[in-house]
Amino acid sequence: MLSVKNLHATVDGKEILRGIDLEVKPGEVHAIMGPNGSGKSTLASVLAGNEKFTVTDGSVEFLGRDLLSLSIEERARLGLFLGFQYPVEIPGVTMANFMKQAVNEQRLFRGEEPLTAAEFLRMMRERSAVVELDPKLTARAVNEGFSGGEKKKNEIFQMAMLAPRLAILDETDSGLDIDALRIVATGVTKLHTAENATVVITHYQRLLDYIVPDVVHVLYKGRIIHTGDKTLALKLEKEGYDWLINDCRE
Amino acid sequence: MEAFLDTIRRFRAVDGRRLTVAQSEATPFAAVDPGQLRVEVAAGASAQLAVVHTAAGAASLEIDLAEGARLALTEVFLAEAFAEVRVRQAAGSAFALVVVQTTSANGSWTVGLEGRDASCEADCLFLAAADEHCVVRLRTDHRVADCRSRSLVKGAAAGRAVGEFHGLVYVAPDAQRTDARQQSRNIVLGDAARIVAEPQLEIYADDVKCSHGATVGQIDDEAILYMRQRGLSEAQARRLRLEGFAGDVVSRCGIEPLREALDALVAAKLELF
Repeated sequence: MLSVKNLHATVDGKEILRGIDLEVKPGEVHAIMGPNGSGKSTLASVLAGNEKFTVTDGSVEFLGRDLLSLSIEERARLGLFLGFQYPVEIPGVTMANFMKQAVNEQRLFRGEEPLTAAEFLRMMRERSAVVELDPKLTARAVNEGFSGGEKKKNEIFQMAMLAPRLAILDETDSGLDIDALRIVATGVTKLHTAENATVVITHYQRLLDYIVPDVVHVLYKGRIIHTGDKTLALKLEKEGYDWLINDCRE
Repeated sequence: MEAFLDTIRRFRAVDGRRLTVAQSEATPFAAVDPGQLRVEVAAGASAQLAVVHTAAGAASLEIDLAEGARLALTEVFLAEAFAEVRVRQAAGSAFALVVVQTTSANGSWTVGLEGRDASCEADCLFLAAADEHCVVRLRTDHRVADCRSRSLVKGAAAGRAVGEFHGLVYVAPDAQRTDARQQSRNIVLGDAARIVAEPQLEIYADDVKCSHGATVGQIDDEAILYMRQRGLSEAQARRLRLEGFAGDVVSRCGIEPLREALDALVAAKLELF
């Protein structure tokens, strides 16, 4: 589904990604861990198509397409979803209006009819239940005045609305209390199928108690320095990254 | 413009140079290109008035609100008119102003809060494209104690357009416990458009709550990126953002059919942005 080969990227002339290789298959859950500043969020942004970053080498194939040749919105319409670490507030634009345009734009891309108002409202009601999001929030401006927990729930709500093939969740667990973490993580699990895949970027093992990964990667200084199964996350929680980083220096 | 005027025609037309509201009226009044108009709302009465400028020229409105009177005024500029509006408010009266300029226009509003416990709310929007020049001058005079005023002036300029907001809140020496808030939010699109926003406070009383602020910025890239990541094109995202920006003011219009017509008017104007 996603095949990243030797991906290099820079921001303001500084190289952040220095040769990433990553293979994600349908039905898989990958976790990407690593110390601060290792390039985790940059990887998410580059895959999503954020123009702030420049890809200097390597290739990315997504569902058989050359991902790097596509704009942000083309990638989204193909089924790539980014859960933002810091969801953006958009004053004056209601969640309902925003989601209606997004859902229908993606349907149009797939050659499907736009949803009727009734279909759309029912869909919003059903999907907001996935993350126990107060349906009243959909009448409010996007993320405006939302609490930290509501913002993250709202990311997963949007994921539920758009039903992406690949969801990249960038530190969706940061700033969540234990109840909100459970709700958000359970929501992600509910949305998981054999046809879609999830890449979870996180600092903490605790998220992976709920979203159990098939593969765990450690990113350090712009490279994946170690890959293992779910037990790797537990080991990292206990022992930190030093043993891997020391290895890497040798 | 025709569709907009169709909506206005459903209201009660104001003839002549004087409108006197003796008792509360449910049907909104409408004045198209009023020239000179004097409006009086009697004590305790409430009314809604739409004023629409469809031709270049000058208009002058004198508005008097008696004790406890309420008036919602929505003033729309569809042509390059010059309008001067003076409002005098007696004790306990409430004035709600919504202004929409979708073309070059020059409007000046002076609101005198002359009786205790009077309140004024003003929400203004200008959308200037191409070579247009929009001007909003808003002066609120707190002449006596215990009055409240709030104003929000929003503007967007594209092309080589210019927008100006000059605001003044004046608080007289005896106007203690004044509560006055004045905000201006502006978006400039492109390098050649320009917006000048000058909110000012002149305070001579010491026990007051007053605030003012103005921002002039561009459409925030983060918001556009966020919307594009959900599948909207850049043009759609910018459009949605601008509609949201304008919607803040339009949603304040308490005359429902007029509010819908304003939404359509604003949407049509934003095609040019």
